[in-house]
Formats: sequence, C-alpha cells, structure tokens
Amino acid sequence: MHGTNLSRWTMSYFVVALSALLLGEILMAAGYGFPSAPIRAPETLVLVHVVAIGWLSLLLCGALFQFVPVLIARPLYSDSLPLPTLLFIVAGLAGLVLGFLQRAGMIEAGVSPLPYAAASLTIGFSLALWNFGRTLCTVRPLTLPASFVAVALVCLAATVTLGVAFSLVLGLNIRHGALLKIAGQGLPLHLIAGIGGWLTFSAIGVSYRLLAMFMLSPECEGRRTQAVLWLGTTALAIAILGGLATLLFDKGVHLALLAGGVLGFAAVVLYGMDVLHLYRARKRRVIELNSQMAALALVSLAVAVVMVVVLIGLGQLSEQIGAVVFLLVFGWLSGLGLSQLYKIVAFLTWLECYGPVLGKTATPRVQDLVDETRARKWFVLYYLSVWAATAFLLAPYLLGFRLAVAAMIVATLGLTVHLARSRLLSQVSAQSGLPEGTRRPHLLVSIARPS
Amino acid sequence: MFIQTETTADPDRLTFLPGQQVLPAGTLEITDPQAAVDSALAARLFEVPGVSRLVFGTDYITVTKDASDWQHLKPALLGAIMEHFMSGAPVLSETARSSSAETGPQDPTGLASKVKDALRRVIDPELGYNIVDLGLIYDIRVLDGGAVSVTMTTTTPGCPATSYLTEGARDCVLSVEGAVSAEIVLTHEPPWSPELMSGDAKAHLGIRTG
Repeated sequence: MHGTNLSRWTMSYFVVALSALLLGEILMAAGYGFPSAPIRAPETLVLVHVVAIGWLSLLLCGALFQFVPVLIARPLYSDSLPLPTLLFIVAGLAGLVLGFLQRAGMIEAGVSPLPYAAASLTIGFSLALWNFGRTLCTVRPLTLPASFVAVALVCLAATVTLGVAFSLVLGLNIRHGALLKIAGQGLPLHLIAGIGGWLTFSAIGVSYRLLAMFMLSPECEGRRTQAVLWLGTTALAIAILGGLATLLFDKGVHLALLAGGVLGFAAVVLYGMDVLHLYRARKRRVIELNSQMAALALVSLAVAVVMVVVLIGLGQLSEQIGAVVFLLVFGWLSGLGLSQLYKIVAFLTWLECYGPVLGKTATPRVQDLVDETRARKWFVLYYLSVWAATAFLLAPYLLGFRLAVAAMIVATLGLTVHLARSRLLSQVSAQSGLPEGTRRPHLLVSIARPS
Repeated sequence: MFIQTETTADPDRLTFLPGQQVLPAGTLEITDPQAAVDSALAARLFEVPGVSRLVFGTDYITVTKDASDWQHLKPALLGAIMEHFMSGAPVLSETARSSSAETGPQDPTGLASKVKDALRRVIDPELGYNIVDLGLIYDIRVLDGGAVSVTMTTTTPGCPATSYLTEGARDCVLSVEGAVSAEIVLTHEPPWSPELMSGDAKAHLGIRTG
C-alpha cells in the first residue's frame, strides 16, 4: 500500500478557479449573458465557459490531482504535468472568451481566436487525461469511486471533441457536412457530456469516498452503487453516442436524449439512496461543516431532478432549461465544490505546514485551521441566494435574479476570505504562533518535502 | 454479562464488545484454528462452523465469517464468548502472553509501553486524535538491544498523510530513551475501522456504539 504526496499545483488551480467563479457571478449580476441574453448568444457562451472551464473544470482537475491517488492508493503518474496543464487550459479559456467577445461584436480581430483556443484547451485537457489515465491504469480492478472518475474522464474527452468541432465551424468557417450538423444540433450533447458526464460523474465518484471518509460511514460498494455506475454510464453513452449517431443520420437527437434521461434519472435516484445511507450510517454523530453543507448541494441536485420531471409534465422543459442548468451548476456542482474546498484547503495546508513536525512537537488539528461558526453563515447565504436566483429564473424576474446573484457574490467572497485565512494559518497562528520547524504556506503553491 | 455487537463496513465482519479487557494492549489476528492454540477463546470461537478469522483488540473481538449467515452464527458466538469470560480463563495462554509485545522477556524495561505513550504525540490530522487511541497502532515489538518495530495503519489506504504519519511515528519512537532503532511497518490488513478506537477516542469523536 502506498501513501500519496501533496499535489504541488492544486492550490494554484483552486485560486484560479475561485477567481473564475467570482468573475462568472459578477457577469451575471451585471446583466451580462443569460438570462439577460439568449442561451445561445455569444455573451452567454462567455459566461458558460468561464464557469464550466474556469471554475468547475479547474476546481475538479486540481482536486483530482490530489485525490485520484487517494481513490486508488497509488501515486500520481506525473507531478510535473499539472502546471503546463493549467497554463494551456487558462490560455485556451482566455482565447475562447476573446473569440466569443469577437462574435458579440465587442472586440475586433482579423482572425478568430476560437481555433487557437480550442487547440490550447485540447492540449491542456489531453495532458490532464494522460496524467489521470496513466495513474488509473496502474490498478485493476478500479475501485467504484475511481470507476466513476474514469467514466467522467471519457466524457471530458467527448466534451472537448465536440467543442473542437464547434470551434472549427465557428472559427474557421469550415462547411463540412458532419461538422455543420454537430455545430447546429450538438449543443445538448456538449452540455450533457460536460455537466452530466465530466463534472457530475466525477463529483459523484469523489463524493462517495469523501463523504464516507469524513463522516466515518461504511463505504458504498454494493449492488446499488454498481447500478448507479452502470445505469449512469449507459445513460451517458446513449445520450452522447446515440445522440451523435442520430444527429449525423438526420434523425434528431430527442429519442436518444429521452432514453438517456430515463436511465440517468434512475441512476440519480439510486445515488440519492446511497447518499442517504452514508449520512444515516455515519459513525460520527456531529459532522463537520463540509459534510453539512454538502447535504445542501445534494438537496439542490434532488430539486433539479424533480424540476426536470415537473417541467416535462408541464411541457416547459425547453423554456426553463436555463433554470435547471443554473441550479445544477451553482447549487449542486458549485455547492459541493465549495463545501469540499473548505475542508480540502485546510487539510492540504495542515499537511504542508504541520506534517513535517508531526511527532516532534504538539500540532493543531485540521479543524483548528477553520472557523466553522463564522463560515456557516456564508454557506447558508450562498445556498439561499442560489435557490432564490433559480426561483427568479423560473418566475421569470430578471431584477430579482440579479439581486440574488449579487448575494451569491457576497457569500462567495466571504467563503474566499475563510479559505485564505485557513491557508495562511490566520486562525491558529493568532492563538498559538507557529511551532518551530514550520512555516506559513504559500497561497498558490504547496511545497512538500519528498517522502 | 452483557455483550454488545457492532456491524462493520464489511458485511462479513462483526465486532463483539464483551465489556471486559480482551488484550492488555495492541491487536492480535488469528487466521486459522491451528494458530489458535495459544488462545482458549480463539479455539472456542473457531469451533463455531463458519468462522474464518478473528481479531482481538483491547476491548473487542472482531469475527470474520465465510459464506455462513450471521443469523445462525451470532447466537453461537455470543454463547462462546460468554462461556469463556464467565469461566475466568485468560484470553491468551502464558506462552502467548510472554511472547507478546510489551510484556515479553526481551522488554524488561517496559520500552514498548514508553513507545506507546510517546506515540500519543502523533495525531491523525483529520480526526484530530492520537494514533494510539484511534487504533492505528496494531503492534509494538521490542527486539534485542532496543530495536523497536511498530506495525501501524492509516484510516484509509492512500491517505495523503501517510508518509507524515509513519515518519512522525518513527521520530517519536527514536525520541524514547532506550530505543536505538525504529522500524515502521505500514499495513492495511486488517483494514482500520472505527471499532478499533478506544473508548476515549470514540467519546471524543461522538462515535455511535451499539
């Protein structure tokens, strides 16, 4: 069995990701992009990619560089690839934003930056896929949480591939028949592969392990969890591959999306039952703030699923899809991400600062690096404002939505301050000072001793 | 005598809490009836058909079963444990006790006990409690001339704190007077579970029992 090392660049990913989240929230509060602009407008594409790539994908990549080794008890394939990965993805995202701004008429450029952005993003995500893939390949069979991540990585590859196809049509004006069909009708597939496959499947896999670890619950390894994996994988395969096939043969993607949706619904229901079991069977009676707040993210996922069913019943899903995606992105994925970030930053900081003096001197606990009472109110404000913003989208009431997003900005800033205080050891050093042999960690980079 | 039972993450394992000391310290794993000759309790438990492995701790007995059903096994195991403790017989034979850690003839200075106390300086960062009471120390053996071998685990395989915990444990052992060398053996067999915690650690973390 192996331990794992500190991921040197994970904190850098987190800092860039949080900056992108704040930027996305500011854009929405300022009335830029959806819902102030149509869903397919270039302004909305700026917003969507800042949040999906800048915030969620970088958050997930940074976390996975640290936690894929935990999931399989093997070291990461390469500790040197995460930095170029980050640089290529950030450069690609910047190019993507410039390309959409050009299409919105906000900047003028002779050539479209979109193909270059797509190339940079492809290189960045390929490096990540190579690193994660080589790491996962060292273990057979994969643990269940790692299997979810493996499927999510395949979906990431699909998301990037579809994105490249869009950029070839939009940026280089290539009029190839298949590419035109993908660019014209492939947006739902890009969305499902990205949000449903890459982001949600990863989050599900990691949550199985993290929730069990943090609450001392029995690991979910039974038939129900396997059913979640296989139903979810089949749902994604039908929706993405089936959708692509029907699209290319001019049959329309609706049937594939419906079939995938039914299986996906079943997978999410079973996942919800697993999560309830994790909370109910936990050994720790009093759970920490990250596990408490993760529960609200899971509530958001459940509400989003119910919304889909109700909206289908009312025949309004296509009109209200923006509200559903908003709740999934900011309630489920971002809520889960922020709640776990709160724990992970403190944990990594503790390891970096106090790990080397463990056994030599008295050390604080990870819990001593955070102030749960004060942080709780920012989490509560965050979730309340996300739910309010979702309701205003459904209403629809634009001013209410923008005010709710402004509250999200306040909450995110409050949480960011708490994360920075945790990273800079403000809580413990104010009480007891730093023990001899320790140093205050750098905000952006983890400097671990070799083990 | 009241014996509590606790389920574990593994459905094939069940922990029995007899409310009495089982071992004075550490853990003992017995994987087959032939290895149970030094423990009357182990021999008695292996007589119950379906028992495949036993782990004794300070206040618990964890039984691993094969394909049998707990519904049939549990009453027989409860009976065997109760009979043993009511008889007043020791859990380990004199031979086994004299060769076990901390009380062995090679450790007349009580070095293992001092090492155990020193290891309480090492905390698991996530759970915020010392690794001894969390049950992460499986065995402490003192060999000739003050060489100390510690067998330990982590709460989860692949834990990012693993190298810090093992090196912290090594530093701790070497800080004890009389310890001339330290060997830290990391194992995940048997896997750690909350049942291995001491009563104090469970109370500190608000762990449910029963």
